[in-house]
Amino acid sequence: MTGAVAIAAVSEMKPARYPDKDGHALYIEVVRQLLAEWHLKPGDIQGLLACPAGMAGGGSADIFVHEQLYEELGIHPLYGDTMNAGGATYGYMVQRAAVAIRQGLADSVLCIGAGKFPKVSTGGAELMARMVSHEAFEFPYGTFIPAIYAQVATRHMYEFGTTAEQFAEVAVSSREWALRNPQAATYGTEPLTVAKVRASRPIATPFHLYDCSIPLEGGAAILVANESVAKRIARQPAWLLGMGEYHSHRNIHQAADLKDIGCGRAGRMAYERAGLGPGDMQFAQIYDAFSVNPLVFMEELGLCPRGKGGAFFASGAARPGGNFPVNTYGGLLSFGHTGDASGLSMIVEGARQVMGVAGDRQLPRADIGVVHSYGGMMSEHSTLILGRQS
Amino acid sequence: MNDTTIPAKPLPKMTPGAEHYWQSATREQFVLPHCKACAKVFFYPRVWCPQCLGQELDWVHASGRGVVYSFSVVHQAPFPAYRGDVPYVLAVIELAEGPRMMANVLHCDPATVRVGMPVEVTFEDRGEMKIPQFQPAPFLRRTSRPWPQ
Ligand SMILES: [Zn+2]
Repeated sequence: MTGAVAIAAVSEMKPARYPDKDGHALYIEVVRQLLAEWHLKPGDIQGLLACPAGMAGGGSADIFVHEQLYEELGIHPLYGDTMNAGGATYGYMVQRAAVAIRQGLADSVLCIGAGKFPKVSTGGAELMARMVSHEAFEFPYGTFIPAIYAQVATRHMYEFGTTAEQFAEVAVSSREWALRNPQAATYGTEPLTVAKVRASRPIATPFHLYDCSIPLEGGAAILVANESVAKRIARQPAWLLGMGEYHSHRNIHQAADLKDIGCGRAGRMAYERAGLGPGDMQFAQIYDAFSVNPLVFMEELGLCPRGKGGAFFASGAARPGGNFPVNTYGGLLSFGHTGDASGLSMIVEGARQVMGVAGDRQLPRADIGVVHSYGGMMSEHSTLILGRQS
Repeated sequence: MNDTTIPAKPLPKMTPGAEHYWQSATREQFVLPHCKACAKVFFYPRVWCPQCLGQELDWVHASGRGVVYSFSVVHQAPFPAYRGDVPYVLAVIELAEGPRMMANVLHCDPATVRVGMPVEVTFEDRGEMKIPQFQPAPFLRRTSRPWPQ
């Protein structure tokens, strides 16, 4: 039951539009990159968890994707499944993989996803609104994903006096990091300012265009392994110190409290299981479909006082050189949102920082960090705590 | 796209246990499901009570009053049916009876909508049926806190 488990290898495609690649072709490209980057052999992959590509893409979802993949890889996994929990899929994959490895079901499990975010302007917004709204009690009111997230933002503004400018600060901070990450979609662009965010096209109050993540395509893979495999593959594995999971609601109007939406509950479980607290964390990677998420979830995860998320981001503490870096790869806001695969990006970056392979954006202090992802309309949550010492 | 016709807004899908709710709305009556076993008044209507899973349910005539719990003013139409409506208000309404529901806040300037604002039910014609909506209440109750600007 016990035994150290780590992320031993990670790889991610650069988010972009890949018109010549369907979901399956993206999957193959992700695997190709992972094998090349980490010199893995087929025997290094004993388990396989994959996510249906094509859920957000509007095509028919491939719900047997793990079967196709293991056949193409020429392996016969001892543990495998295709699973989906939206953006929380991959946090949960790492959690399921860790449990399986500790049970001795497999020495290693590959967690993998690929996705294509549908184009919002050509029916994508309606497709996604139908997917995430109650078909009787929400969708007929003209639901729109930014306006659903905005319910949390507006309520936070009411309860704590948070401002639209403070949400914009999250986007500014994420862009600062993306400018240091050649793999980010906005690498090589201009820095953002609060004024630029506020001057961009209004979408749904309080969000303007730059408060929203960038819809793109891509994919990534994470190899979770036991101690001996992890040490063989990685010079410094990212040890999984704690994990937490909480399922709150499906439809946003059913959330009991918009400032206690499930994130903190998953986080507290992860801290407890790690025997650590928020004060032990040196960085955070937080799923950010919109600028509201890191601001509110910093509070839920106990990383800043309740109601102070806005002041935290406005202080610059989350930016390069700040005392508590957040979303050091650029976040989905500036790195790019890869649809079905988006929940991989923050785990990949959390692991890279702990493994010490984050390039120009490597943090001087990355001994322990927290990674939070969620699925649906902030419906279900996964918190992982990664560290350099098992 | 040079197609200027705006398609009709979507109708709610009929889900188990909700038929009476929509039939009442079409008659401009706002009702909520009530559990006979545990007395819970809940939303949304379904075949059992979300508190005790009791299936002995009846309906209460709701006051139709509530406050805006949260909201967003939508500036970009998510799909063609809403092209003529932007900016419109997508809100979560906290009903006087306790449960919350999603609705639009109609018959007002979206820029005047605030969290805590008192609203009352109204009914929007969707052709073959009507659906509950909300509008600012004709009197202004004082809320416990001032509305932020
Ligand atoms: Zn009951």
